[in-house]
Amino acid sequence: MKKYILIIAVFFSIGITGCKKTYLSLEQNPNQPSVSPPGLTLSGALVVAVANVNQSYSTDGIWMQYWSNSGNFVPDPVSEQFQITNTSYTGVWTNLYQNLTNFNNLQISAAADPTLTSFEAIAIIMKVYDFQQLVDQFGDVPYTQAFNPSKYLNPAYDSQQSIYNDLVKQLDAAIALASKGGTSPGTSDIVYGGNMANWQKFANSLKLRLAIRQSTVNKSNTAAADLASTASFGYLDDTQDAEANPGYANQLSSGVSQQSPFWAAYGFDVTGNQTFPNTYYRGNTFFIKALTNFNDPRINQIYAPAGSGVTNIQGNAFGLVGTTVLTNSFTASIGPGLLISPTQNAVLMGHAEACFLQAEGILDGYITTGTAQALYQRGITASFVDMGLTAAQATTYYSQSITNVGWTASANQEEAIIYQKWISLVGYANLEAYLEYLRTGFPVLPNPVSLDPAAVSAVLPIRQYYPLSELTSNGPSVAKEGTINIFTTKIFWEK
Amino acid sequence: MKKLLLVSLCFLMLCITQVFAQNRTVTGTVTSKDDGLPIPGVTVKVKGTSVGTQTNTSGKYTLSVPQGATLVFSFIGYETQQAAATGATVNVVLVLASNQLGEVVVTTSLGIKHTERDLGYATATITPKELTQTNTTNIANGLTAKVAGLAVYSLDNGVDPNIAIVLRGNRSLEGDNNALIVVDGIPIPGGTLSSINPNDIADVTILKGAGSAALYGSEASNGAILITTKRGANDAKPTIVYQNSIQLEKVSFYPKLNTQFGTYGGEGSYRYPGTNNFLPAIDPLTGQTAYIPYENQEYGPAYNGAIVPIGAPAGSATGPIEMIKYSPYPTPPIEQFFQTGYTEQNDISYSQGDAKNSIFISAQDAFRTTVVPNDKNIRNAFSVRGHRTYGIFSADFSFGYTKTYVTTYNSGTTNGLGGINGIGGSYVTNAGANDLYSSILQLPAFLNLSTIKNPNTSEFGNVNDFYDAYAINPYWTIDNSRREINKDVLLSQLKLKLEPSKWLDLSYQISDNFGINQERDTQAEVDFSAYGLSDYFSAGNVPSGFRGTGKAPGQVADYYSYGDGTSNPNPGYSRVQGDAIADFHHKFFTDLSTSLIVGNSVRQQYLKEMGTYSNDLLIPGFYNINTIAGAIAANEASYTVRNIAYFGDLNIGWKNYINFEATLRNEQDSRLSKAERSFYYPSAKLSFIPTDAIPGLKDNKIINYIKLYGSYSRVGNIAIGPYQIQNIYTLAPGFPYGSLGGLTAGTEAFSSTLKPELTTEDEIGAELQFFQSRLSINATYYNQKVVNQTVPIGTSITTGYSTTLTNIGETQSNGEELQVTGQILTQAQNKVGWTLGVNYSNNDSKVISLLPGITSLSLGNRQFAVVGQPFPLLEGTDFVRDPQGHVVVDPNTGYPSTAQGLTTYGRTTPQYDLGLTTSVSYKFISISAVAEYRGGDVTYNGIGGTLDFTGSGYTSTSAGRQVFVYPNSVIQTGPNTYVKNTNVNIENGNYGFWQGSAYASTDYPYVSSGAFWKLREVNLSFNLDKFVKQYKFIRGATVSFTGRNLFIWVPKNNPWTDPEFSDTNPTSNLRGTNDIRETPGTRIFGGSLKLTF
Repeated sequence: MKKYILIIAVFFSIGITGCKKTYLSLEQNPNQPSVSPPGLTLSGALVVAVANVNQSYSTDGIWMQYWSNSGNFVPDPVSEQFQITNTSYTGVWTNLYQNLTNFNNLQISAAADPTLTSFEAIAIIMKVYDFQQLVDQFGDVPYTQAFNPSKYLNPAYDSQQSIYNDLVKQLDAAIALASKGGTSPGTSDIVYGGNMANWQKFANSLKLRLAIRQSTVNKSNTAAADLASTASFGYLDDTQDAEANPGYANQLSSGVSQQSPFWAAYGFDVTGNQTFPNTYYRGNTFFIKALTNFNDPRINQIYAPAGSGVTNIQGNAFGLVGTTVLTNSFTASIGPGLLISPTQNAVLMGHAEACFLQAEGILDGYITTGTAQALYQRGITASFVDMGLTAAQATTYYSQSITNVGWTASANQEEAIIYQKWISLVGYANLEAYLEYLRTGFPVLPNPVSLDPAAVSAVLPIRQYYPLSELTSNGPSVAKEGTINIFTTKIFWEK
Repeated sequence: MKKLLLVSLCFLMLCITQVFAQNRTVTGTVTSKDDGLPIPGVTVKVKGTSVGTQTNTSGKYTLSVPQGATLVFSFIGYETQQAAATGATVNVVLVLASNQLGEVVVTTSLGIKHTERDLGYATATITPKELTQTNTTNIANGLTAKVAGLAVYSLDNGVDPNIAIVLRGNRSLEGDNNALIVVDGIPIPGGTLSSINPNDIADVTILKGAGSAALYGSEASNGAILITTKRGANDAKPTIVYQNSIQLEKVSFYPKLNTQFGTYGGEGSYRYPGTNNFLPAIDPLTGQTAYIPYENQEYGPAYNGAIVPIGAPAGSATGPIEMIKYSPYPTPPIEQFFQTGYTEQNDISYSQGDAKNSIFISAQDAFRTTVVPNDKNIRNAFSVRGHRTYGIFSADFSFGYTKTYVTTYNSGTTNGLGGINGIGGSYVTNAGANDLYSSILQLPAFLNLSTIKNPNTSEFGNVNDFYDAYAINPYWTIDNSRREINKDVLLSQLKLKLEPSKWLDLSYQISDNFGINQERDTQAEVDFSAYGLSDYFSAGNVPSGFRGTGKAPGQVADYYSYGDGTSNPNPGYSRVQGDAIADFHHKFFTDLSTSLIVGNSVRQQYLKEMGTYSNDLLIPGFYNINTIAGAIAANEASYTVRNIAYFGDLNIGWKNYINFEATLRNEQDSRLSKAERSFYYPSAKLSFIPTDAIPGLKDNKIINYIKLYGSYSRVGNIAIGPYQIQNIYTLAPGFPYGSLGGLTAGTEAFSSTLKPELTTEDEIGAELQFFQSRLSINATYYNQKVVNQTVPIGTSITTGYSTTLTNIGETQSNGEELQVTGQILTQAQNKVGWTLGVNYSNNDSKVISLLPGITSLSLGNRQFAVVGQPFPLLEGTDFVRDPQGHVVVDPNTGYPSTAQGLTTYGRTTPQYDLGLTTSVSYKFISISAVAEYRGGDVTYNGIGGTLDFTGSGYTSTSAGRQVFVYPNSVIQTGPNTYVKNTNVNIENGNYGFWQGSAYASTDYPYVSSGAFWKLREVNLSFNLDKFVKQYKFIRGATVSFTGRNLFIWVPKNNPWTDPEFSDTNPTSNLRGTNDIRETPGTRIFGGSLKLTF
């Protein structure tokens, strides 16, 4: 019997030897890290933030008449007929909140380390940048209860005005933090390379944008009232804008394009062939006519002719269907002033927009230094230069006695500012142009705006639906917002 | 070879010897008269003494006996035999006992053998003859339709098809529901089943439920398929079997197509060859569309037999124009494209053995082409298996190596690395032209494919001249966009066994099973001519999209994995496993038999994968990642799973008519966090034979055998992958930019509190045999409940996570299984033998709860789990309907519109599965057939949308492209009032309705029943043994003619494709949607010759 016990004992030891206590401890993921250093979070989130704004708003580009859908394809029910559902724009919502999650993570981790004040400041400024896009398109959105799944699995929606008001406070806090020194973000800050004074200017410009957005319905809004407190930090203008470049390159990294986001989306792939949007978004007759009427030399920068014998800039009217639609062999594509190179900077807020914001700020009395006319003309010049033209051409242009071109020739100077801003925002800032149209009604668009007989509205939608993903995963909260009508339910700053 | 074996095994021959003085050693093999195969476990005793032994797994025994002794051979189910131990070798052939019922020996978990009457759960056994009667290249196909409750899904029809094997329906909502595959007692990686030569199989046992497989633990929560491979032959005679089979494969089921209308694609105007003017493409008066010679859609005028130009002039604007008859070509393009596939298998096996050792060697070459030109699958399999006994010590080994080479067109499917490795079928991604089948479905009926067969050289088929401005030549894809796969799979195991006493066996088994997968996708560079780029028709043709550079550069993607050898679509793990088992068995008081098995199992599963990709090759035709422009895309990942288990199995039997079995298993798994890592699975089973226990039931003329059984068991299923217990950061898109790195937070929230899914199964059943066992009925009812379903639930992205992996809810599935076998005529009595088998299963599943307040959960692919409903459930968009279900149409256009929200269409897994098997034999001829019905489910046919887009399907021509009143439609006249629509025609019966209205963008028109009848197998064979006996060197010969999937019948509402096909991968539960990646269904027929020497 002893023999058997011994055999059994030896036998089982074969099976169990080698099983150290740590044998089953494989929690460490060898493929993906479970923590992210602040620098890596910052660079990752900034690249996404700028790509969001440069790539996501093609439909706004159609609606603002910059482009028309290609005549090579069947009509698109969403952009041309406004048959919009709660799944049509899910991407915008998801991308912004995903990006905000990263900035929020960065804010929390940086706040815990007193040497990381600069990281914290940038995180806050970028949160404001993203949240304003959300509020401007969706109205009330989760804000105070967002990004805290252990406490709020169904975050409540905050009122749009209260979010706007808090964003102003956040900017003030960020501007203060940015003065504290601390570890420089260095190259992980792909916008300013760690220059915090520029971040303060950017924050201040965002505050101005918040103030002006509300100015049409409420001239003395809280953002406007707060502008003076940080006026000394200055604003972005034709000398300094907010552009990002992590080192864009004409190549793929792990299958993802490293090209500048606007180029990647609307230009050419790394092998030099047209991307789908480049074949799809073509010249628009309304915009072509506007530029032509203004004798605007930027037309040849904004568009490139079809080629193969077609040398003039042609397009289709928005929503045109039937026998007169031109195919791509005739219509202009996006031009060399916008598609500069695969490594061009990506724009968070451009020179021209910064100038036009200040021009309007002066008109509204929000800014007490400088003249509106000077900033208006600097804005036009900045746009010309950014598109590869000269300051002299700009001067020739704005010296024309044409309404909405020449300052003095324009009876309504706000209208002139918005018209010029509209032209300058083409392509990389379609959303901003659309929002300013909703605020001011400029440029005056055709009625009906879409020629497609199947269009369900004569005018553009004025907001977006909450995405289906919110209805299914955060139903009770979104239900409190009531029924949304994208043609009548206004964002609080809309007239 | 025998010597070689001895040498190879000598290291195993440890210094264990047994010495019995004055005795001599007798050896021998015990085989069955029934099938000639060795019988393991036969008790061999010296008559009148207690000296004895048992035969090993090869049916061999060795016994030391006194002079002049008589040996007694007994084994349940067989007549006991006696033989005088006169020589050194005593071989015995046992005869099946006619009156012994339920004593078939079944291999169960861990290779433990039980008599069938002891089992408290349902099993089924498939013989090698049944398995390979139609020469399938994959074992799974040979199991189809033969066992109640076992569903084999052929998910596509490719040269290397994906197959899923599911027992008793789905349990897990999101986890793997595939059965565990066990070879010779050891689980193998799921993907390696296709590497096993079906002709090497000795026996397949199906353990249908969680209970029967409870000893295998969490891996077997979905049941198990136990495969026993062949070992050495009986007696000392070497046997060589050579087998050759040849099969042909032809398309049997493709969609019903448009044969009435030519090409037009929605344009307002077009440029006709020879003019520079644009002409209106729609007649303003009649609304008739013009024939457009370059379109990829078929919404043009009716065929009229005129001679018309097609495509642009060849080579230049002044080149020749192909003229073509505007009427359907006698052979539809789809039939012109698909070829006849050819499969040839050559098998040779050698087996030999004597009392102490045995060896089996087999080699197979299987060559297969399919209906898609250029696709090939070449498999070479080699295996050696053997057994060696030395006293109380025995060793058993198995080694199998399979090399598979596959070449196929690119279908755009990617492998496990998430995206970068996988190249589409063409250089253009417009309108589904990326997929081969889609580009075939864009070929109009009047096309003669012979002019486009050479996509690189022919005048009308090359990339610049292809007649179709928007699609690509499918021949380009099969010539220029290829995937080559090399799989090297190695399955090996070694089992050492010690039988120190008659009441104790000890064994240790180690196995190492792995495969290396090398995959290369390539796509040729395309250089467009200036003429091609000039877009002759100004139509925005495919080449004009490449004006930037004038070329589409070549692409190459390489993928390597060390795992189970598979890659498409996901690789599986390699595994190393060691099992130690002690088996105590003893019979008390002659009537109480007991056994206790305790064991320990340790395994490690490992997967490593790496991939590289470039879509910018510098030199045409030179596919190397070093010769590219731009940066290499590369990625890698590795995964390790470790698991330690301890288990026990107690069997107590009384008088051979009542048997109780209890098992307990403890498992610790590295995928779970430390706190949740260890868990227990118990099971208890009982079987009872009233016909033996109750004297009054004995010797009944009608019912001669009754067995009642039942079991209760609990098994966990670890439905999370490795490392899914903590949140991750991933590389932010596009990074690294030079030296700048960037990360972004993962959007799925994981948790260290995740637990395994827990399946509880109750099963009861009865087995009845009538009329001297000529009719047998086995009926089972099971009820499974699963709690802690591991599911990624959608969370609001505003929380920071779009999904959260969590344990939620409860699901239930229950069902009945019925297996009836009748021997209607026996060859012995009637000269003609006829057996008929019916197997039927019904599976009802239901989601009992999800999260509080949540009643519906998206599982992806249009499928949902909905409380109170079966799962997965197909939901999709539907038309706006009135309360009675009539479609509401627009009062002006007559078009339906898409309703907001989703409509439930039904479950996507078959509820009913009926298999019919029959065989008739007369003299040396036998014929057998297998048919199967599946039904009770629905399918979403993605191909339907493609057919309506191209207009090449029959559906869009069913009304002659004329206007009609939408059937059974109503018009809304007030808030809740609807009137029957009798006179509002659809506005446009052509492109407008079929492509431009909500009809084409709604799911409803493409949902069909998933039901089908298939004639799965037909075999006609001639056993020529008695004719070849005159030639001494041949012992047997069989010639057979076989057919597989010869016919399929589907309901009328499915004009599209085989509903068994699915566009998901085998481990996904979301079958029930298909798309255009699955080429049409086929039938296979051929013949085989088997020679035994």
